[in-house]
Amino acid sequence: MTDTSARQDLPAMTATDAPQGGRTLPIRALATAALLLAVMAVVYVFLYLPIVHIGLSSIAKNHTFPYPPRLTGKAFADLFGNQLYQRALGNSILLGLGSALVTVTMTTMATIGVIRFAGRRARYFVVLFVAPLFVAEVLVGISSLVFSGLILGLPGNLGSAILANSVHCFSYALLIIATQLFRYDWRLDEAATVFGATPVQTFREVTLPLIWPGLMGAFLISFILSFNNLEISFYLLGATPTLPSVAWGALRYGVKPELFALATLVNLVVIAILIAMYLAMARGIAKFGHRPERQRAVG
Amino acid sequence: MRDNRLARLAFLGLPSLYLVVFFVLPLIAMTVLAFWRTENYHIIREAGLGNFHTLLVEPAYQTFLLRSVVMAVAVSAICTGIAWPVAYAIMLYGGRYKLLFTLALAVPFLTGEVLRVIALQGLLGPMGLINAVLVHMGAVPLRFLMYSNIASAIGLVYLYLPIAITVIYLSLLNFDARLADAARIFGAGPVRTFFEITWPLNLFGTLISVILCFIPCLSTTLVPRFLGGPDGTLYGMALAQQFAESGTWALGAAMGVVLFVVSISVTLLLFRLDLRRSGFSGLGRA
Repeated sequence: MTDTSARQDLPAMTATDAPQGGRTLPIRALATAALLLAVMAVVYVFLYLPIVHIGLSSIAKNHTFPYPPRLTGKAFADLFGNQLYQRALGNSILLGLGSALVTVTMTTMATIGVIRFAGRRARYFVVLFVAPLFVAEVLVGISSLVFSGLILGLPGNLGSAILANSVHCFSYALLIIATQLFRYDWRLDEAATVFGATPVQTFREVTLPLIWPGLMGAFLISFILSFNNLEISFYLLGATPTLPSVAWGALRYGVKPELFALATLVNLVVIAILIAMYLAMARGIAKFGHRPERQRAVG
Repeated sequence: MRDNRLARLAFLGLPSLYLVVFFVLPLIAMTVLAFWRTENYHIIREAGLGNFHTLLVEPAYQTFLLRSVVMAVAVSAICTGIAWPVAYAIMLYGGRYKLLFTLALAVPFLTGEVLRVIALQGLLGPMGLINAVLVHMGAVPLRFLMYSNIASAIGLVYLYLPIAITVIYLSLLNFDARLADAARIFGAGPVRTFFEITWPLNLFGTLISVILCFIPCLSTTLVPRFLGGPDGTLYGMALAQQFAESGTWALGAAMGVVLFVVSISVTLLLFRLDLRRSGFSGLGRA
């Protein structure tokens, strides 16, 4: 999550730009702009069409073609009435929280380590830390299963699922926290130390208040990724149900409106979290990435 | 000085140890298992190349692998081809809503594969939106939209397009737009500016986006199972079956090794492109 309003001091990127001489825009530039915008519009429609469609289906009696929808709450009633989904929800939340906690702790240390202590060897550590990004989820899942089940002789449980998921989230969280920490002014820490603060005090009273948006973003993203994960968790959970695994099991017997309702609920929660993040960033409560005022002070 | 060394040990050592134990060792364990064999659901700990021999001579596994590679190449090419204009459009015309457009990409990305496959069934299925609209208008429903390789491909594009757009957008965000301006000022046309400045300078980001599509597509297990048809089995799906229904873990581990090797080879192959000539000036350029 970087601040996308960056580089305001630079001229905007204008490939289709300034007409030479006159004030009329060349036709070709207009055509390019129209084409680009059309592709963009089509892509956003493609990405959101299924989400909106199943959202409508989940609240409609005529759920196969809900245009216009005849409202009913049956799908949601079925969903909330089902004990299995409730147990699964509890497990998924535990899995998400555990994995997000492990991930954020480890990635915060890793990022600070790479930026402050790695020196010349930084690139080797970076390669290790982003490596999980380049290994498919299913491989993380089965290799963890083989390692814990066969080599260590431990049966799969929530704990091993939390650890395997946090490995998958590690690189995403690292990148988010790194965008924040690259801009952090470490002289603040030194100043605190000079005035007699202990390292723990420095972190709690100086560093943390300034970098929390990055940690928060990483925590939320790791939570959501683990909460929704099936390809890793499936192999490690044994008989413990989670929301994705229950939904997966139900999907074998065909798509039912209650699955649409479940997907819609999760979508709404994700959208709510992202809107909160957007407002926090737009209002300047949380700043991610670029901080021009500080850049100039350091440079 | 002593303090510093201790801090370095803690801050770099702990995360490294964690990744080695929970990421590298499991991968090694999987590789070891690939050389053992399974008999009647029991694992025989004897080294041998039996699994790899099976994978090499059984035509079914060759077909699955070939189909997976073709699928992954096609999907990552389509994703990158679509992602470029979209990322470019957000960059050029996003204005003050750039942040909103990028966060909007995260909604489909964060919803999780299972729920997105469910959503896609709502779109493509026999009773899904597209066919329902067609029937509503009195047309014949499209059969290829469900339970076919095309459906799998559409599903995979749907799954990995958001991350492709995000990566290319981030690359464009870090691209110094003044270079393109300079080229224009010195008389290059928009097309030439794009192909000589913008494209090569963002090649690194583009390659990352290709790889981040390619690797998960190559080993996808969920999509072909629900959107693919009878001749739509992909390698990842066959691998998952070894660990579920058939219980032949050793063979599954060997398939995992094959997937890992193919992914890493493609990654290394792509990064062997001469990045310095492409203008990529290293990770250090903030």
